[in-house]
Amino acid sequence: MPIQLLQQAAAANEWLAITPELMLALLALLLLVLELVLPRQLHTLIPATAIVAQIVIALGLAFNFDSAFTGPGTAFNGLLRLTADGQFLRLFFLVCSIFVCLLGTVCLAKQRMPRVEFYHLVLIITAAMMLLAQSNHFVLFFVALETVTVGFYILVSYFRESPLSLEAGLKYLVMGALSSSILLFGIVLLYGAAGNQALPGGSPNSMNFDQLRIFLTDNPGNFLASAGIVLVLAGVAFKIGAVPFQIWIPDVYQGAPTPVTAFLAVASKAAGFAVLLILTQRVFAPYQGLVIPVLSVMAAATILFGNLAALTQHNVKRLIGLSGVSHAGYLMIGVIAAYHEPHAIGAIWFYLSAYLLASFAVFGVMAHVAGPNDADQELDHYADLARDQPFLAAVLAIGLGSLAGIPPLAGFMGKLLIFVSAFKAGLYPLLAVAIAGVVISIYYYFGWIKAAFFPAWRPTDAGLPQAAVPARTPVNLGVRIALTVLAVTSVLLGFYQGAFGQWILTR
Amino acid sequence: MNAGLNEYLILSGLLFALGFFGVLLRKNTLAIFMCLELMLVASTLAVVAFSRFNGTLDGDVFVFFILTVAAAEVAVGLAIIVALFRRRQTVQVEELNALKN
Repeated sequence: MPIQLLQQAAAANEWLAITPELMLALLALLLLVLELVLPRQLHTLIPATAIVAQIVIALGLAFNFDSAFTGPGTAFNGLLRLTADGQFLRLFFLVCSIFVCLLGTVCLAKQRMPRVEFYHLVLIITAAMMLLAQSNHFVLFFVALETVTVGFYILVSYFRESPLSLEAGLKYLVMGALSSSILLFGIVLLYGAAGNQALPGGSPNSMNFDQLRIFLTDNPGNFLASAGIVLVLAGVAFKIGAVPFQIWIPDVYQGAPTPVTAFLAVASKAAGFAVLLILTQRVFAPYQGLVIPVLSVMAAATILFGNLAALTQHNVKRLIGLSGVSHAGYLMIGVIAAYHEPHAIGAIWFYLSAYLLASFAVFGVMAHVAGPNDADQELDHYADLARDQPFLAAVLAIGLGSLAGIPPLAGFMGKLLIFVSAFKAGLYPLLAVAIAGVVISIYYYFGWIKAAFFPAWRPTDAGLPQAAVPARTPVNLGVRIALTVLAVTSVLLGFYQGAFGQWILTR
Repeated sequence: MNAGLNEYLILSGLLFALGFFGVLLRKNTLAIFMCLELMLVASTLAVVAFSRFNGTLDGDVFVFFILTVAAAEVAVGLAIIVALFRRRQTVQVEELNALKN
């Protein structure tokens, strides 16, 4: 290989463009070093370091939102494309990771477990998700996706003393590896089809998203490419938990430690949608005729299945997992609407932000209500929560109300924006399914609120033994502030969208 | 006898299907895990075949990434299986049913 070619390749490595990812990776390593250097009594400082440093990175990212690198160009020889959407998602994942670390401090304090590795893995996964949301090449896409997935295998089975956590880890491992293999086979078929230079648009660099799109535009109805697209979409559907690839969700959500469940429910799902948007809107756009029907059927099935299956759940983690499936369905409607209505992408980002605020509020309460083994997560355990800890009950009510889409809250605005874009795009049947789904969802969300607020009915004659309610964790100051911020923002964002709403509509 | 691209793809598709149905039908976690690896190997075979017949090197480089990822998956996966076996004394999927409503 001529030396100039190598020099050219090296010159395209814009290291400054991935500063946030590099800083997160360095921070992750720093945490491991701190564990070695610091004396044992100072180890409580390590999570605090992680959270403060992430807040600093997030602030730096917010102030450099319109960086010189975002634009039409690519970095690292077309591996990365930095866009405004990518910047938003970077911030989104960072905020998720901060809250996950905070929940981690609550849950890990009840366990005898190595602590530091948890934060290390969360940081690495966050950095990989950031790269995933900006990838422009299948190699980077696959490697970033696998970094996220393998990291989650470890996190889901993190409580290695608990058989439930390990079983969830094994189920996630089998399902995750299966979906990765399907996705990989799809990537290989696309690579092979688009690499055939005998066809128009065939390119030697066929794993690049731009080249692939040129090939797909020139060759409508190519069999290998169609098969590849279906397999890749199936792999992504596994990650977002869309029907018929949602089977892993209830078990894995139930068994995983609460902070990890929150991370899976919010960040992993958002990463899945970031990828789905990049793929369907940019790369596979010439194959709309194939993609739209597949996504439409999946969206309708996902909404109905998620809501109907959540109706009968008594375990709150399973309930929130299945309701998360239905949220994925609403978001998929947004993805389909984005073909005709560019605002739909902004609506998806708004929905995800509202979902983040509401979900972390609910998971924050769940982390405090669960007993020391983190496995007691039944609806009955919420009895008398409003009397014992009114603060947690209030946060829970706001979070669940926002998830259900009750009007003055942020979740309502998110749903409204998605439904309006779907209406403008003319997706009336899907819209009808979605509205039916929202109505069903109010039943189980309010069942949960009822469990927390109204006194449980108890038989007067002491016949049946009462289920023991696990000891609730007192809320410490930092978490109290964080939960207050989440709840207040959920309310405010419903009334006033301000600069954030402006950015989303004009992006 | 010369094997063309189609022969390689058919072989790769067969291996992939073998792995896929193995994952669905096998009851032993270790066997399921081997079937998962088989699916990755099937993709590797296809990518090498495409790389050879399309005359590009990207696919050959991709193989290294696939192998690395597969190795990471095996390392984590076997650790989980061993830890689970220590707790439950079984790796049969029908006995791993503690998670339910």
